[in-house]
Amino acid sequence: MKWITARRRHPLAGYVVVILALALFGVGYAALAPTADQAQAQTLAADVPSPDDVDIAEGKTVFDQTCASCHNYDGSGSYDAEGNVTNGPDLRDVGPAAIDFQVSTGRMPSMDPSSQMPRKPMAMSEQDLANLIAYYNAEIRNGESGAEVPYEVPDSEPNRADFEDETAYEAAVEEWESEYDSYIEGAEDTDMGMKLYLTNCAHCHSWSGGGGALTDGRWAPEIHDASPREIYEAMVSGPGAMPMFSDGAITPEEKHELISYVKTLQAEPNAGGVFDLQRIGQVAEGFIGWVVGLALIVACAIWITAKQRAHD
Amino acid sequence: MSKTTQAPKALRGVGNFIDDRFHLAKTGEKNLRKVFPNHWSFMLGEIALYSFIILLVTGVFLTLWFKPSMLEVVYDGSYERLQGVPMSEAYASTLFIDFDVRGGFLVRQIHHWAALIFLAAIVVHMLRVFFTGAFRKPREINWLIGIAIFALSIIEGLFGYSLPDDLPSGMGVRILQGVILALPLVGTYVSMFLFGGEFPGEDIITRLYMLHVLAIPAVLLALIVAHFMILWHQKHTQYPGIGRTEKTVVGTPMFPAFAVKAGGFFFFTFAVIAGLSAFVQINPIHLFGPFTPTSITSGLQPDWYMGFLEGSLRIFPNTFDFSVFGYAVPIAVLVPGLGVMGMLFVLPGAWPFVEQWITGDKRVHNVADRPRNAPVRTGLGVAGMTAYGVLWLAGSNDILSETFSIDLYLTTYIFRVLVFVGPVVAFIVTKRICLGLQRRDRDTLEHGYESGTIRQLPSGEFIEVHKRNSEETTEVLESKPLIGSTALADDADVDDKGVENPESRKGMGKLRRALAHWYTKDNVSIDGVEAHSGHHLHHSAPEGEKESAH
Amino acid sequence: MTENDNNDNNEAGAHTPERVVGTPTAAAEERVVTESSAGAPEEHAGPYRASETHARPEEVQRRGEKAASAWFIIAFLGGIGFLVSYFLFPPNAAGEPAIADPQIGQYSNMLLGGTLTVAMFGIGAGMTVWARQVMPHYEVHSPYDDLASDEKEKGSFSDFFMKSADESGFTKRPLMRRTLILAMVPLGLAPIVLLRDTGPLPGDKLKHTPWEPGMRMFVEGTHREIRAEDLENDPYGMISALPAIDDGHHPHGMSLTDQAKSVILLIKIPENDWKEGMTEPIEGTDETRLNWTHNGIIAYSKICTHVGCPAALYERTTHRILCPCHQSTFDAADAAKVVFGPAHRALPQLPISVDDEGYLIATGDFTEPTGPTFWDYAKD
Repeated sequence: MKWITARRRHPLAGYVVVILALALFGVGYAALAPTADQAQAQTLAADVPSPDDVDIAEGKTVFDQTCASCHNYDGSGSYDAEGNVTNGPDLRDVGPAAIDFQVSTGRMPSMDPSSQMPRKPMAMSEQDLANLIAYYNAEIRNGESGAEVPYEVPDSEPNRADFEDETAYEAAVEEWESEYDSYIEGAEDTDMGMKLYLTNCAHCHSWSGGGGALTDGRWAPEIHDASPREIYEAMVSGPGAMPMFSDGAITPEEKHELISYVKTLQAEPNAGGVFDLQRIGQVAEGFIGWVVGLALIVACAIWITAKQRAHD
Repeated sequence: MSKTTQAPKALRGVGNFIDDRFHLAKTGEKNLRKVFPNHWSFMLGEIALYSFIILLVTGVFLTLWFKPSMLEVVYDGSYERLQGVPMSEAYASTLFIDFDVRGGFLVRQIHHWAALIFLAAIVVHMLRVFFTGAFRKPREINWLIGIAIFALSIIEGLFGYSLPDDLPSGMGVRILQGVILALPLVGTYVSMFLFGGEFPGEDIITRLYMLHVLAIPAVLLALIVAHFMILWHQKHTQYPGIGRTEKTVVGTPMFPAFAVKAGGFFFFTFAVIAGLSAFVQINPIHLFGPFTPTSITSGLQPDWYMGFLEGSLRIFPNTFDFSVFGYAVPIAVLVPGLGVMGMLFVLPGAWPFVEQWITGDKRVHNVADRPRNAPVRTGLGVAGMTAYGVLWLAGSNDILSETFSIDLYLTTYIFRVLVFVGPVVAFIVTKRICLGLQRRDRDTLEHGYESGTIRQLPSGEFIEVHKRNSEETTEVLESKPLIGSTALADDADVDDKGVENPESRKGMGKLRRALAHWYTKDNVSIDGVEAHSGHHLHHSAPEGEKESAH
Repeated sequence: MTENDNNDNNEAGAHTPERVVGTPTAAAEERVVTESSAGAPEEHAGPYRASETHARPEEVQRRGEKAASAWFIIAFLGGIGFLVSYFLFPPNAAGEPAIADPQIGQYSNMLLGGTLTVAMFGIGAGMTVWARQVMPHYEVHSPYDDLASDEKEKGSFSDFFMKSADESGFTKRPLMRRTLILAMVPLGLAPIVLLRDTGPLPGDKLKHTPWEPGMRMFVEGTHREIRAEDLENDPYGMISALPAIDDGHHPHGMSLTDQAKSVILLIKIPENDWKEGMTEPIEGTDETRLNWTHNGIIAYSKICTHVGCPAALYERTTHRILCPCHQSTFDAADAAKVVFGPAHRALPQLPISVDDEGYLIATGDFTEPTGPTFWDYAKD
């Protein structure tokens, strides 16, 4: 302390503080800057599960334990006298795609039904989810209502916890990668994918899939972590305030183009430099222009014009 | 250092060649000896000048490939992702600059970063000039030229942003067209003539290109040269200090030291802009995709210098819209779109003359004010900055809403209130701080500065030792001008025969007196305060070692 | 760069000898001298007297020279690096430059930019060290010139000007003066007249769109005509659509100008959610807005009536349509009336129906102009 006290009135003290602050800012920014690999969501690619692989009784247990408290044991939801949802909405017409979307993105089961859920790691295993969906289809769903899970569209990268040994896991990852790549590369019409995305999705989720603000404190989530299957499911089931894009409005092939467009865009390296400012755009650029650009130039001006003591 | 007394022969030859034709020796020497006061804040304008030079050079480079055409083509260039996508030639040629011209991407980013820095530098330079009162006589005209440069630069930036014809840039043009359409009577005509038909038409990029690379830069260049020549002619202002008076400027001569420093500063400016352009991606038009009038993205923003306009368009309510005989007058577009922009230029432009009218001060000022010594002006400046800042933030309210999870409409309501309350609070707080600093200055002048050393007297009392101010500090503190106004003088409005001017009792005279009172009333006077005259300073101690008890 | 910019003050004081230490008070002069010559009052051979300047000791200068040179060497290496970086990324065999790949492009950008930064910063830092450590450090005085001319000069100028003006006869001969001004008037108007052909007159162009009765619609981005059943089965469907026009020479079937005015948002709204704005009779007709919908599907212009951004952010739970630019909000269940924000006018609604084959069709054009509100939008 004494050292500082003795020097705090030194003519250069002000400049030292400015330089320290700048350095601190730089370090802080580097620490906060986006990292290249964002954690992949923790779910598993799967084909249509065969009836042998799923256990409807297990699914019922999962449903009764984790879903029924809000959505009721028969999936009819909980409503007050005026017909407003109190805890959870009626599930009988939403279809398995909605169930798969809500659970695999970790939004369900939710602790606080009244607020919008952010994306989280899935709360149950892949097997539990498969059982749950089988139970839903068998016992709760109203006939054929709602959309099916699009099993042909690749899901997220496999999760190590779902495998017993390393080799099986690595094999699954390899299979997932080839499946994912062939899906993304299978798209042919960038223009169609781009037009569909920019005219129907970008006004909420932004051109980069970075998300955006909605009214009443809600937000459209960013979709970097969303797997192609989750994007597909979101389109057909319309989670939250999102409207629905059925296979009639946007056909499966068109959805393929759309999903492939946004995933390719998100995966593309930033040709303009390592810092992409989260692809937020002009607000972030202006901020950096002022607090990094102009500040550094002013620091140089301070160096140039700093008072020199007569003796140095 | 070699002691050169005689110019080398080659140099003499060139010198004589020129002098024989222009008679420049005397003028040349005078200009080489031109004195520049030293202070980092005097270099802010240079940042703008250097950014402008960088913009000119990189802009010329970009024109070598850019095609300002809205002809629709199907892209088949080197950038794989967009192959087969229909787009305008303007957008396609920008992709060519990015992905086929080596260094093209870098130069485009330098051009864009330099534009952001250029305008930021203009703004901080203007703030420096405003807060130090450097706009006063004889520099009012240069202040107005500066404001014209600021206004043109904003328009220049907006047009440049629009040229690549990518998604956000086209939306910027759309908003511009929407604002033009709102003009009563002429809106539809101006829009049709500017766009060569309806929006977007096929001409607008070509026309904006001409304005962006030729017309506006030519005017800007002329204004910048005029700005600089006037500065050179009138000489730079200086901060108060020993030997620095209204009649005498103290500083570094142009040649050699200042020229080398200024030259070095150009390279620093370029280095920072190049560094940003190397590592921080800006305006990635290849990711946005080409413009179509039917597509939109959330978080759509203009560049920062248009942010305050975007903000005022966002928060202005539609309550005041009306129609006359069925003709619509969309106030919610006209006032924020044109009125706010106008205020940004008109209010600062009028201020030097308003201040002169209030104070009646017709003297020449070469010594800059310390901002605290003109509390009302400083307060008004901060109030203006606050209003601008609130509008600027409002322009990114969707980003703020999303980042901090605040209700989108709530942010709008907050900004609607803040834009009025903020400046008032800012004015009051700033003025109080200025007056507090003035008081502290008077104390320091009287008693010396607090050394931070605590001593115990033999009596057991603790005291903080006050030290004698340096001569420089004393000089600066004593330079505090007395803020007065001729409107408040006892003989104001009384002519030399002792007859009162009847005008002074009427509206404007009364207003002027009220404003003068408001402008001057709270200032702390240092009249009668003698340096180091405080009762607890003992002048017997040797110079520099003087310490005394408080 | 700046030395030659200015010859304008030849007169303004060139004949006043530059007073290096010409200060009003002896005291001030003394102080400056004291300040700048404290330290090493060695012999100085620069342009100013040794007593005013402060040459640095030879040792300091030598250190400065070394430091500055080190910076210049760094800058040189940076410059070489820049040139090398340029040629590191040649066009490949197919003539396509390597930088067309975004990852390679990023490396190229960072190498070129990074080396350029080093080169520029090196020169800047070297020059700063040079100025600060090798050059003597001093400040000198110079007078601010009196800018106002003295009375004698002013008087002389004024006399000369007035005499010459009289001589010219400009004030004395009004006929000549007035005819000259008259001659200027048409020429002054000419540039404005010449701009007439920059665009057509508005006419009623802004009031009509390509929509016609019976016209089907494309899902935007495709050439697929949309059927009622594509939307009506979803309780909360939405899609952006354009008129089904393919003129054969525009890549998207129609010009951007036509797209900009005719683009619509098709929204399926559950029956119970309609509000009273939908059932009120439309001015001048006996129809209601609900008559313009088909089985819960409603079509609104997608272009915001504020300043023209596509207002497409639709929340199915609240039926709000929000414009991402300035957050004007329209209620899709209530004739797209403005519920928040700066827009004043509801989004125009396109009357739709379904044809024999089940395709959605327009039953006419919009009844009011789409896009930003303009002064005479409400006039026919």
